[in-house]
Amino acid sequence: MIYIAVHPEPFDAAQIEQRLLAGRHDIGAVVSFKGCVRDFSEASNVTALTLEHYPGMTEQMLTELAEQASERWSLSGVALVHRVGKLAAGDGIVLVMTAAAHRRDAFAACEFLIDRLKTAAPFWKKEHVGDTAHWVAERHSDLDASRRWEE
Amino acid sequence: MPDEALSHLDERGHAHMVDVGDKIVTQRTAEASGHVRMAPHTLALLADDAMPKGDVLATARIAGIQAAKRTSELIPLCHLLALSSVKLDFALDTELPGVRIRARCRVAGRTGVEMEALTAVSVAALTLYDMCKAVDKGMVIGAVQLEHKEGGKSGDWHREPATLEAEPPAAPVAQRDSIKVLLFAALRETLDTESIEVPFTELASATLSGLKEALIARDARFALLHEQQVLSAVNQRMCKSDAPLSPGDEVGFFPPVMGG
Repeated sequence: MIYIAVHPEPFDAAQIEQRLLAGRHDIGAVVSFKGCVRDFSEASNVTALTLEHYPGMTEQMLTELAEQASERWSLSGVALVHRVGKLAAGDGIVLVMTAAAHRRDAFAACEFLIDRLKTAAPFWKKEHVGDTAHWVAERHSDLDASRRWEE
Repeated sequence: MPDEALSHLDERGHAHMVDVGDKIVTQRTAEASGHVRMAPHTLALLADDAMPKGDVLATARIAGIQAAKRTSELIPLCHLLALSSVKLDFALDTELPGVRIRARCRVAGRTGVEMEALTAVSVAALTLYDMCKAVDKGMVIGAVQLEHKEGGKSGDWHREPATLEAEPPAAPVAQRDSIKVLLFAALRETLDTESIEVPFTELASATLSGLKEALIARDARFALLHEQQVLSAVNQRMCKSDAPLSPGDEVGFFPPVMGG
């Protein structure tokens, strides 16, 4: 079961977990990662964040990442949910959830997915600090995190 | 074991089947995809597991696996294969809206498994229809296609990005002879442009760089597309180097991506 969603509305992690678990009794581990809007980055006092995406391509990339993870680890389910539009500090941006028979697969796949998502899926972030706004540049630490999964 | 299976089939009189007896046994994989488009309401019910007939996806998965195993009974000149693995994945896509199906089949054998993968997708799609038809009779099964196959004499085959699921909605026929250019994030703001149609005849060469030249000829500010930081996608697939273009292609230009 792969569940991919990109939308402006907030997501409900409990509901998504139910979706992955529905009718299954072979799942022993669910791992989730939730990314939130911080009020500081290079600038302090970030008040809001605008997420832009490439409709269509984004969903396709997320589906591919979920499929890659399913090939690499033994998974029962993957959910990738990403919000777009204007978000306030503290809001959830992204949810990665993996379900597997055993925790090791679920942990590893979850980390792989968030690392790859950050550098492969077509999203862009604009930070609002007071009345000004700027586009966030890519981070080398993110690129390094993503590269370490390359075999 | 495949020898036994084949002789059995020969007795059943499939006279025109290709004789694969002399082919080498290799590890073969094929992956196919397709979708069932449905009303948003139907998809919501499916997602909430609230269909009158019960667990739709689990049933469709079993149906797809069973169908892959019985492909030779359905397709007249297809060989019976001892499949080593059949895997089906379903993705609920709110933008379609509907369910995207992917099937992957593996076998160590003498013929390819693409018919098995395509059959698995088709029967999973039909089962989805059957399970949901009580609430939505207007569902459409579509884009059943081979994604890739590996192994065998004819070698590996991958679907070219250009032919990847030509989705009909919102693509007027008049724009078939042009390239649709989309700009995102900082690039969109700097060039103050979200999307442009460039007639294919304006391209000096049928490549990404030919398109960039055509855009620069229109507006010199587009010279910044040559910067290293600018990424390109053709038909929603990331392109690292200069890629060939065909009329009707969609090209996206954007800064490095940053999600999460």
